[in-house]
Amino acid sequence: MLDQDELVRYDRQLRIPYFGEAAQQKLKTSRVVIAGVGGLGCASATYLAAAGVGHITIVDFDVVELSNLNRQVLYWQEDIGATKVMIAQNKLSKLNPTIEITPVCAEITDKNASGIISGAQVVVDGLDKLDARLAINTACVRQKIPYVYGGVSRLRGMMTTIIPGETPCLACFNPEGPRGLGVLGMIPAVIANLQALETVKLLIGQKPSLAGKLLLFNGDDVKFRIYDIEKSEACLVCSQGLSS
Amino acid sequence: MKAVITPGFSELIIIVNPPGKVTREGLLNINMPWLCAPWPEARGEGVCEAEVEGETLRALLANLAEAYQKAGVDFVPINPRTNDMDEDYDVFINDKNYVTIPDGLNAKLKDGDRVKVKILWRWDG
Repeated sequence: MLDQDELVRYDRQLRIPYFGEAAQQKLKTSRVVIAGVGGLGCASATYLAAAGVGHITIVDFDVVELSNLNRQVLYWQEDIGATKVMIAQNKLSKLNPTIEITPVCAEITDKNASGIISGAQVVVDGLDKLDARLAINTACVRQKIPYVYGGVSRLRGMMTTIIPGETPCLACFNPEGPRGLGVLGMIPAVIANLQALETVKLLIGQKPSLAGKLLLFNGDDVKFRIYDIEKSEACLVCSQGLSS
Repeated sequence: MKAVITPGFSELIIIVNPPGKVTREGLLNINMPWLCAPWPEARGEGVCEAEVEGETLRALLANLAEAYQKAGVDFVPINPRTNDMDEDYDVFINDKNYVTIPDGLNAKLKDGDRVKVKILWRWDG
């Protein structure tokens, strides 16, 4: 049951006919892992916390640097040098004290990915390395946990919602691309908010819009392109028995 | 020139005026079915053919973009603003990146050249 404060806090989304109290209650008991609390993770964590997702685990090993502040909006000047997940936990808890934020200070690898995501209903991508993403992807496929991939650089972004057993996983592709190209702060916010929207849909039992689709956002011309994508029958992660 | 196109994982592989029949041997999947959009009849076999006006890499890519546009697919590998490769894509001729080839996008293509257009994924967060 939602209490009086929660009814007021979430009033604007409770007014949406297909959302309502039942969906809000689902969010309240939901468990989400946000892997990486940088440009993407700060935005998705903020909006998922504000929306009332009851249990959010935030994972990052890094400390706040001055060069983070153009896009990682949970961190302020005074936070430079501090551990990201501790700062994020503090700010998110102040934004919504009715939910539980669990900080995990760890670098995601093949060895720990499975344990980190265990118990989550959705894993939200906020990482900045391919290796860590592939580790999370494999763990999600094995545990049949939806994984909402997002990635950005410069004025571009992309995302897809991976539903193990139904959609292509990250390893179905031969995903290559450059890193360290820089990014304008608004771009991860755009992609992360779409990731958060997909996450909320998954948590309340609605069909995600980007399952089996790849969204490309181009901030140069402000165009969204959405393409169908299909599983690879030769994928070593999702089509060769790992998921069973 | 004739371009024989085989969509792959996150890429298009194009053989220019191939000496023989082009097959999908070694390419198991088409993960991005929209890459076949201009040639729906070739979806099953996964090998598409197109006639291209011009003889340069730039002409090939411009012709492809036009074919995709007619099929309602926004695939524009040459950025009209910079007149260079758009940063969502990279292109190789016979496994050499176009920036390392004399004349770059204006390089003349030869019979049998293998052009690969890769769709780049985004990894920063």
